[in-house]
Amino acid sequence: MTDLATATQSGSQPVAPAPAKIAVRNLQFHYRDFHAVRNVHMDIPERQVTAIIGPSGCGKSTLLRVFNRIYAIYPHLRAEGEVRLDGENILDPGYSLNRLRSKVGMVFQKPVPFPMTIFENIAYGIRHHESLSRADMDVRVEQALRAAALWDEVKDKLKHSALGLSGGQQQRLCIARGIALRPQVLLLDEPTSALDPIATGRIEQLIEELKRDYTIVIVTHNMQQAARVSDRTAFMYMGELIEFGDTEKIFTKPDKKQTEDYITGRFG
Amino acid sequence: MGTGNEHTIKSYDAELARLTAEIVRMGELAASQLEAAIDVVERRDERAAQRVVDNDDAIDVLEHAISHDVVRLLALRAPMARDLREVFAALRIAADIERIGDYAANVAKRAIPLSMTAPVAAARGLRHLSELAADAVRKVLDAYLTRDAQKAHEVWGEDVHLDEAYTGLFRELLTYMMEDPRSITACTHLLFMAKNIERIGDHATNIAENVWFAVTGEPLQTPRKKGDVTADPVMPHLGNR
Repeated sequence: MTDLATATQSGSQPVAPAPAKIAVRNLQFHYRDFHAVRNVHMDIPERQVTAIIGPSGCGKSTLLRVFNRIYAIYPHLRAEGEVRLDGENILDPGYSLNRLRSKVGMVFQKPVPFPMTIFENIAYGIRHHESLSRADMDVRVEQALRAAALWDEVKDKLKHSALGLSGGQQQRLCIARGIALRPQVLLLDEPTSALDPIATGRIEQLIEELKRDYTIVIVTHNMQQAARVSDRTAFMYMGELIEFGDTEKIFTKPDKKQTEDYITGRFG
Repeated sequence: MGTGNEHTIKSYDAELARLTAEIVRMGELAASQLEAAIDVVERRDERAAQRVVDNDDAIDVLEHAISHDVVRLLALRAPMARDLREVFAALRIAADIERIGDYAANVAKRAIPLSMTAPVAAARGLRHLSELAADAVRKVLDAYLTRDAQKAHEVWGEDVHLDEAYTGLFRELLTYMMEDPRSITACTHLLFMAKNIERIGDHATNIAENVWFAVTGEPLQTPRKKGDVTADPVMPHLGNR
């Protein structure tokens, strides 16, 4: 009889982790008295896609929003612990919001184009941070629209209202708007939940292309989407990070029973 | 199911349970076919042998049904983690059972020409061999049904006994053939039958590996002790005569 212990050794080699772009240490988040995120530690690797999954109310969107301090506009919300972006704690009040937002872009669930032309939607944010010549601005807008895989569809109607675009196009416009500021990190909060499967496919293809240049963190309710687009997956439940690992492992052989129950549809 | 808790969508559980039931039914059919095959060898009953050969179709039909169910589950349920491993293992286990059925039918097929030769004493050794093989198949099916990785591991380790019994029978048949060349036709048929049964044991170990994988998520990859030394250049106790 062979030894059971040796039979259970895994054959797969661990992948060397990419350097951490964002290092989260002992993060707590409170909405008034509600402790929404508890003791989160995680290293988000550079130029990879990290997906955060979990049931509604698990704290995944809250965690994402801490990464660009969007909560700072509301009173009674507070984050404690450390979120180090390239080694600097962004929760430190000395870390300016302007600087943070130029490094960390965000795209929301519902595309919200500004009621302006397609061109102005992109140029507006850039003007806020930099003053460019007209020619340089044209180049920057084109670059952003090309990176968001939207250029070919809108190049002849840059002066048209962005509100005339389809939902999928509007979402890619929002991604272009985020990219135009040349951030290093792109946060995507349910970016395709309002889109049809074809538009969703385009966004997912875009995510794959963008990870060459950006560190991407995506929150999604669609587990298949997390499996398709991410390199690493984090599972959150009741404000805690239950498991964080290589996407392939999380979806084939997670370590924690709660993760397994959630991804196999046995929750609750 | 062995995991203890149910899917939120109940029909998903029902589909997985159906897959398990089909595998177990298919495996029971294959084990019965093996027993029936040995029976017709001993009774030297040509017509019954042909019935065993024809019955193999039922196993093939079940394999098609299982393949269909697996494709459907993959497409419509997109199983994950343990469910994915279960579905993947079911497909592979069905293929192993289908081969077990083929080997049982092969034994029955050879029973027809064998019944036209003079009886050989070694035919009795074939029953012992087939009992070991049928036990392995039934035990591994039970391990599958109860998702018992430990039990699957036992079946996997016990194949060495079947290999040793096969080596013993091989030696015995060679001795008969050397003693009396008139028995060569019968002994050659018996030798092929023995090899078929030994292969059934190998498929039982494949099933054990898949049960292990479905339950633990790890491959069962420790080198297994082999008891079949009939292909070694110098067989023990026989030499190179």
